Amino acid sequence: MKQELYDKLVTYIIENQDKFYRLAFSYVKNQDDALDVVQNAVCKALSHYTDLRNENAIKTWIYRIVLNESFALLNTKKQIIPIEEYCEIPYEEKDFEIHDDLYTQIDHMEKDTKNIIKLRFFEELELNEIAQVLKMNLNTVKTKLYRGLKTLKIAVEKEENI
Amino acid sequence: MKRMMETKQKYDEIPIPQELSERVMLEIENANIKHQQQWKKARRLSIMKKGVTSVAAAIMVLAVGVNTSESFAKGMIDIPVIGTIANVLTFRSYEEKKENFDITVEIPSIELISEDLKELEKETNKDIYTFCEQYVEQAKQRMYEYKQAFLETGGTEKEWNERSIIIKVWYEVKSQTDQYLSLMITGAESWASAYSETKYYNFDKKAGKWVTLRDVLGDDYRQIAEQSIQKQIEQREKETGMQYWYEDSEGINENTKFYMNETGNLVIVFEKYEIAPGAAGQQEFQIEK
Repeated sequence: MKQELYDKLVTYIIENQDKFYRLAFSYVKNQDDALDVVQNAVCKALSHYTDLRNENAIKTWIYRIVLNESFALLNTKKQIIPIEEYCEIPYEEKDFEIHDDLYTQIDHMEKDTKNIIKLRFFEELELNEIAQVLKMNLNTVKTKLYRGLKTLKIAVEKEENI
Repeated sequence: MKRMMETKQKYDEIPIPQELSERVMLEIENANIKHQQQWKKARRLSIMKKGVTSVAAAIMVLAVGVNTSESFAKGMIDIPVIGTIANVLTFRSYEEKKENFDITVEIPSIELISEDLKELEKETNKDIYTFCEQYVEQAKQRMYEYKQAFLETGGTEKEWNERSIIIKVWYEVKSQTDQYLSLMITGAESWASAYSETKYYNFDKKAGKWVTLRDVLGDDYRQIAEQSIQKQIEQREKETGMQYWYEDSEGINENTKFYMNETGNLVIVFEKYEIAPGAAGQQEFQIEK
């Protein structure tokens, strides 16, 4: 039984590794860190798979780990790089950057809203899945999403199921 | 909403480095090795708890006993095994845990019931034993070399100890049919890179000897195997989109690894990286007669 769940988890990871990477990259913004995040996340997921209640929870559970690992990495970076040095870090050309107003705008939003928008539109998660990933009330997720979209001046038609 | 869709498209264009799948597979392999040990232990315990319910279970329990007592091992030989003339036992198993590394070894031995084959049995078991012990020795050596390199390039002793290193040798009976007994022995280790080595022993019970590719496929074995493999590769390339490099490999020769599966067909095995990207893993090709 446990072994079956573990096998499903492994399959899910193999099939969706690109998604984890993109999500991680959208936070940490460089290849090396994004690779570290995914590798750490996979390691944690596989060694703690017994925490997983059932196979339906795999998706939201992993997204949660990937997000946590991304934030953990960003936090340690903040601690070790003093602000003056940080400013001197030269622009690295090899890294892929998205030059898009809306993308940058999303990136500068408040953390919760940013997470919700990325998961909803880039990763195409359902609202209730997002609530599970972020351990938030479904209504809070909805409110934050609507408010966020309003700030971004994105017209969402009433009927449209966002 | 259109703007959001365009932004998503850009997000989807974030390039995926090749290294990603390698690093993900590495973690999976590490975890697999760890979990297989746990599951094996759990299974073995549950068998012992349930008591001896069948001959198969009895053999398993006896195999455990062989490791713990020498007199037990000697007594073992006299027990007839009904229906088979060849059998596999765990000859020796041990675990070595030190600081941050964990070595587990399970060495099998073959038992050939017929008196005429005792010499062959002895030779084979010596060969198996040497293969297992040599693997552990070499793996340890590689680990120490790696540690030294790690420390020389600025790693600290503390960082080193945070890594967990696993060296493992185990075996699996691939098939036990009326005609064949196929045994696989694998040595694997994991740290910065995953490394493994596998050896197969295929015994023909009817002929009373170890079989070669030629024995099973005939004199044209190379041609037969290659034709079938080429065809299967084409299909796999289509399905997975991965590029194989069979032409650059050694191809089929007397040393090519294979085993006999439960349906009595021959299966040729190429190790990871031998003919396909690491992410594709080990490649097996069933050659139908």
